[in-house]
Amino acid sequence: MGRTISRRELVRIAGLGVAGLARGAGAAARPPRVRGRVGLAPLPPGAGGGPLDPAAAERALSAALVACTGLATARDAVEALFLPEDIVGVKVNSIAGPGMSPRVELVSALAGLLHQRGIPSHRIIVFDRSSRELARSRFPVRRDDGDWLCYGIDNDYDREPTASGQIGSCFARLVSTTCSALVSFGVVKDHDLAGVSAGLKNLYGLIHNPNKYHDHNCDPYVADVLNHPFVKGKLRLVVLDGVTAQCHGGPAYRPDAVWPLGLIAASTDPVAADAWAWKVIDAERQRKGMPSLEAAGRPPRFLATAARYGLGVADPAGIVEVRA
Amino acid sequence: MGSLSRRQLAVATCAGAAAALLPRRSKAASPTVGAPVPPDELPAREASWYKKLPDSRVECQLCPRGCQVADAERGGCGVRENRGGVYNTLVHSLACTVHLDPIEKKPFFHVLPGSQALSYATAGCNVECKFCQNWEISQFRPEQVAATYLPPEALAKIARNNGVPLLSATYSEPVVFWEYVRDTAIEGRKLGIRSTVVSNGYIQEKPLKEVLPSLVAMKVDLKAFSERFYKDVVRGELKPVLKSIEAIKASGTWLEIVVLLLPELNDSEAEVRTLSRWVKTTLGAEVPVHFTRFHPTYRLTNLPPTPLDSLERAWQIAKAEGLAFAYLGNVPGHAGESTVCPGCGGQLIRRVGFQVMENRLTKGRCPSCARAIPGVWS
Repeated sequence: MGRTISRRELVRIAGLGVAGLARGAGAAARPPRVRGRVGLAPLPPGAGGGPLDPAAAERALSAALVACTGLATARDAVEALFLPEDIVGVKVNSIAGPGMSPRVELVSALAGLLHQRGIPSHRIIVFDRSSRELARSRFPVRRDDGDWLCYGIDNDYDREPTASGQIGSCFARLVSTTCSALVSFGVVKDHDLAGVSAGLKNLYGLIHNPNKYHDHNCDPYVADVLNHPFVKGKLRLVVLDGVTAQCHGGPAYRPDAVWPLGLIAASTDPVAADAWAWKVIDAERQRKGMPSLEAAGRPPRFLATAARYGLGVADPAGIVEVRA
Repeated sequence: MGSLSRRQLAVATCAGAAAALLPRRSKAASPTVGAPVPPDELPAREASWYKKLPDSRVECQLCPRGCQVADAERGGCGVRENRGGVYNTLVHSLACTVHLDPIEKKPFFHVLPGSQALSYATAGCNVECKFCQNWEISQFRPEQVAATYLPPEALAKIARNNGVPLLSATYSEPVVFWEYVRDTAIEGRKLGIRSTVVSNGYIQEKPLKEVLPSLVAMKVDLKAFSERFYKDVVRGELKPVLKSIEAIKASGTWLEIVVLLLPELNDSEAEVRTLSRWVKTTLGAEVPVHFTRFHPTYRLTNLPPTPLDSLERAWQIAKAEGLAFAYLGNVPGHAGESTVCPGCGGQLIRRVGFQVMENRLTKGRCPSCARAIPGVWS
C-alpha cells in the first residue's frame, strides 16, 4: 500500500476514539439507522451516455442523503454517519465493466462530502475485488495522491476464515482491519442467481470465496455476510447508482436490458435499499412483459433472512420512499 | 539448431523449476513455484463437459452440482467461468502444487508399494468440507494462489526424467481440473507413467467414465455414510459419490476408499458398520478401506483429534463385517497400517507412516499360503 497511516496518526485516531467513547459517544459512534427509509433523488443519464456533470452528481447524492436521513443538509447527514477519525471503505461493484458500474462522478461526490466531514483523502478508500476490474470500469487506481485512494483487494485477505451463519470466509483485510466505516456503493441490476445485485450482493466482494455461496438464490449467505461483525458493525450507508439500471442478464452488462431509471438511492437500512431495488427491477420486467424475479425462479430470498436477523426492513409495506 | 517459442521456453523453465523441487518433501500441500496469476491472464480453455443454454448461460455437466452459470460468473468450484456463453476451465495446466510423495501418502496401499508419485493440484474444489486439510488451495480461486504453468507433457517428462512411475492428481479436488487430469494421464501413458487420482468422487457419470480408462487407480474419500453429514459438513451429496465408487469398481480401475473419522460426527458404531456392510455387499470384501485420523483444521478447530479408540473400533468393525483389507491412517507405527494376508494371517507389507519397512509379497501373492492379493503390484 502506498499511503500508510503513521504511528502518530494512529495514536491520535485511537485517542480520539477512546475520548469519544468516554464522552458518551459522538454522533457517528452510534450512527443513525432509519429503518425502512430509502432516499431517492433524480439524476438523468449524461447526454449520449457520457460522464455525469460532477455538480449534478453532487446535488443528487446530497439530496438522496438528506432524504434518507431526514436531516436538514447532506453535511448533517454525513456528520451523523461518520467521524473525522474514520477510515472509510467505499465498496463499489465494478464486475460488469463501465456499462453497469457505479459512476466515478458519484463516488467522487461522496468523497467530497466525506472531506467536508474532515476525513482526509488518504482515509477514503474506494475498493473492489481487483484493481484490474476497477480500472476497466474507469476508476483511477491509485494507492497514493488524489482526492481518494482507489485499489483492489487483490488477494489481501485475512489468513484465517471466520464464520457467520452458513459462511466461512477470509475477509478482505481492508474490511477486517483497515477500515472503521463502510459504504456499499452498488448499482441496481438483476442477478442470475441472487435475483438482485444492489447494495447487499455487492458485499460478496468482501470475501475470498463468494463462488461457494450461490446456491438457493444466495440465501442465507448474503444475509450471513451482512451479519458478520466486520460488516454489520461498520456498514453505515448504502448508495445505489440507479441513473441507469438493468432488469435482466446480470451480473454481466447487458445493454438490451438496461433502462434509464434516473435515480440515486441512499439508505442507512441496507435491507430496505435492496428491497426497493427488487421492486423497481420487477416493475421494469413487468413493463417489458418479462416474468417477475419470483416467477423466474430467483427471488432475492436473502432479504427476508436479513430482516429476520434484524438487519433491516424487507417487507415492501414497511419501506418508506422519500423523494427529494 | 531450432529456436524455442515463448510458450515452449515457459514450459521448459517451469518444468526445470518443478524438477528442481522434486527432492523436497513436504507433509502439507503448499504452493511451490510461481505467483498468483491475474484473473484475465488465467489460461482459459473451453471446458469439455457442459451445455449451452439460452441467454449466454451454460450448465456445467462435470459434477452433480450441475451449476447453471450466467455470463461473467463462475461455477461453485470457482475455477470454471462463463465467458460470453462459452464455459472455460481456468486451471488446465495451472499447477499450484507439485510434490514428490510416497504413494502410501495418498493413501494407496495396494499400488506399487514404496513407489513415488509425482503429485499435482490446481486451486479449487466442488465441495466445502469444514475439515479440509488443504483448504488453502481447495477453497480459493486460481487467481488467489501462487501457481505455475505446467502442461501435461511437462508433468509427464518430469516424472520420467526422475524415474517416478506414477502421477497423482490430488491435494485439492481433481474433479475440478478433470481435463488436466485426463490430458496428463494420456501424456503420462505415452512415456510409461501411470496415473492415479485422489478424489471426493463427486462427479457425473459421463466425465468419470471417459477418464477412468486412462487411470490405473482411483482413491475416493467417502466422507461419511449419511446424507445429513454430506449436507451439513461437506456441502455435497452422498448418493452420487456412492454411484461413482460403484462405477470405478465396475471399470476395473483399482479402487481404494478412505474414511476420515471425525469425533462424534461420523464415527458411530452404527455408521461404520453400515458403511462396511455396503462396501462388502456392493463392491466386494477386497476393496481396501482406510479409516484415518482427523486433526483440527479449517472450520473445525473446535473438535479434538480423533481418539485412537474410535479408530480402532472402526477398524475392528470393518474386519468383523468381513472386509479383507481394513487399514488405519495418520497413526504412525500402528499395526493397522500394515497389510495382512486374509488367508493365513501373515504380515505381508509392514508400514510405518508412509514408509514401507518390509514387503513380502511375491508376484502379488502371499509367500506363505500363496493367496492372491488384489492390487497393482508391478
